[in-house]
Amino acid sequence: MSGFFENYGFLIVTIVQQALLGLSIYFPLMAGQLSLASIGFYSLGGYVAAIMGTHPALAPLREALGFWMFPLEWLGALILSVILGIAVGYPALRLRGIYLALATVAFVQVVNVAVLNMPIAGGAVGLFGIPQAFESRLDYIWFFGPLFLFALFLVWRIGNMGRGLAFFAVREDELAAGAMGVATTGNKVTAFVLGCALAGVTGAMSAPFLNTWNARQGTFDASVTCLAYVLIGGSRSIWGPLCGAALLVSLPELLRPLKDSRMILNGVVLVAACVYLPQGIMGGLAALRSRLSGRGGAA
Amino acid sequence: MDFAWLLQSLLNGLSIGSVYAVFALGYTLVFSILGIINFAHGAVFTLGAYLTYALAVGHFGINGLLADWTMPVTLPFVPALILGALLSGLAGMAVERLAFKPLRKRGADPLLALVSSLGVALIVVNLIQYLVGAEIYSFPADIFGDLPMAVIFKIGGKPVAVRTIQIILFGASLVMLAGLGWFIGRTRGGKALRATAENADTASLLGISVNRFILGTFFISGLLGGLSGTLIGVSFGVAGPYFGVSYGLKGLAVIVLGGLGSIPGAVLGGLVIGLGEAFLPSDMSSYKEAVAFVLLFAILLIRPQGLLGGRLEQKV
Repeated sequence: MSGFFENYGFLIVTIVQQALLGLSIYFPLMAGQLSLASIGFYSLGGYVAAIMGTHPALAPLREALGFWMFPLEWLGALILSVILGIAVGYPALRLRGIYLALATVAFVQVVNVAVLNMPIAGGAVGLFGIPQAFESRLDYIWFFGPLFLFALFLVWRIGNMGRGLAFFAVREDELAAGAMGVATTGNKVTAFVLGCALAGVTGAMSAPFLNTWNARQGTFDASVTCLAYVLIGGSRSIWGPLCGAALLVSLPELLRPLKDSRMILNGVVLVAACVYLPQGIMGGLAALRSRLSGRGGAA
Repeated sequence: MDFAWLLQSLLNGLSIGSVYAVFALGYTLVFSILGIINFAHGAVFTLGAYLTYALAVGHFGINGLLADWTMPVTLPFVPALILGALLSGLAGMAVERLAFKPLRKRGADPLLALVSSLGVALIVVNLIQYLVGAEIYSFPADIFGDLPMAVIFKIGGKPVAVRTIQIILFGASLVMLAGLGWFIGRTRGGKALRATAENADTASLLGISVNRFILGTFFISGLLGGLSGTLIGVSFGVAGPYFGVSYGLKGLAVIVLGGLGSIPGAVLGGLVIGLGEAFLPSDMSSYKEAVAFVLLFAILLIRPQGLLGGRLEQKV
């Protein structure tokens, strides 16, 4: 068993880390807003942690704080993400559907070009030699695991209180929700900022986990991969992002024997999942369960 | 800000902007009919450049399955360009069959079509990498035969260079735009296409074979994508299988800037972004890739329907 964790520790932690990014897209989606901004906040959060972890001017602070430097990096990423999330969210959330998705794509691209041109972010090479919190990659589960549980708790809690009902009302019909006195803009921005904050903190935890940080962390491909976690896992279930991330992260590993052609198969799986599992894995399981129980009842 | 610089930037901006317009029209046609953005369009763009390269140059480099492999015959540039574009059109039809039709038949969430078209893009891009490697391919300098690379004028003592490729970019784009305008505005097929875009259900009741028109639209879209891929590839070199990704996003910025689904809007959007990039001061040239997206973000905030888009309607 310990051999299993040694071999697959990195993979397991990566699944949880990527599932967190999936959840950060799930938050705005709860209020019906398709935003692809998460990966931009993930990238920025990672840069906050990488800069705080490596900048020479902060060396005395790192000496003094030791391990507590990591929570401070998370806090830095959180504050930046919330402020920027509100600044981007208020104007952008006037848009809807595909327009909002494209505006957030534009945001991610602009962030990418900006960090490539900032000397403090290390240009195209990026930042490396980021201080490690643990010796083993597997131990990073102590970062991502609690955050994942907290995010799940938040989703569950929101779903079971007035705020969640307001989110769902906005998702189902924004005009009607507004007419019923639901503060549509406020709820949309809250859902959006929750997603931004989660992505930012995930980024700050990921920079030490990955040891280096560069602009490749924040590409458009990465945004779409996160959306695919949610859609393939199931966009109406809180376990959807985890299922989708587990499948799509482990797929290249499982297909490793196929070497160069494995990315082609990755594409095939993406298409097949869209065609044959339109409700995602969780939706497919639910349909299967109801069909089985239906048969059981008839017998 | 002298006159020669102004003229040079205008020339650069119009020639590249017209190719952006042709490329973006491929998105617009599919969007106006299906209401979905085809994310595999950038992959078809890349494919077009590689197909024309194969037809005109005939051999590939040192990596990949097809390394050191040679085509039995090579074509002059213009026939290669046309044949490459037609083959890209067929690739566009394959994208429709693989990524869109199965989902449409099942009435799936339109968001899923976005992901499935990305899946197809992943297949195409990695297939190219598998076959011909990830290196940069540059079309040979003598691809246009005896034509000079550039003609240099002197204006007020300052040089203005007109590159041959710029004339070709502009000319080919103009021909494509005029041809498309004629097809959509003046022919029965174009009329049927507009009817399908307006309302697919009503169009099918009136005897238009909607599925055939969707397939035809993807053919035209792929043709425009492959053609613009070749033109940009000749201009800047084909930088590996991922060459189309950034242009794919830029094309999205073009169509939203002009007005989603609007054909004149896509042309205007392409020219605005091409000119925006060309007029960027040279000390800010490292921000060139952000121009399209800053313009996109700005227009969405000021005028969400884009420059020439119709009013956004809210469904009640």
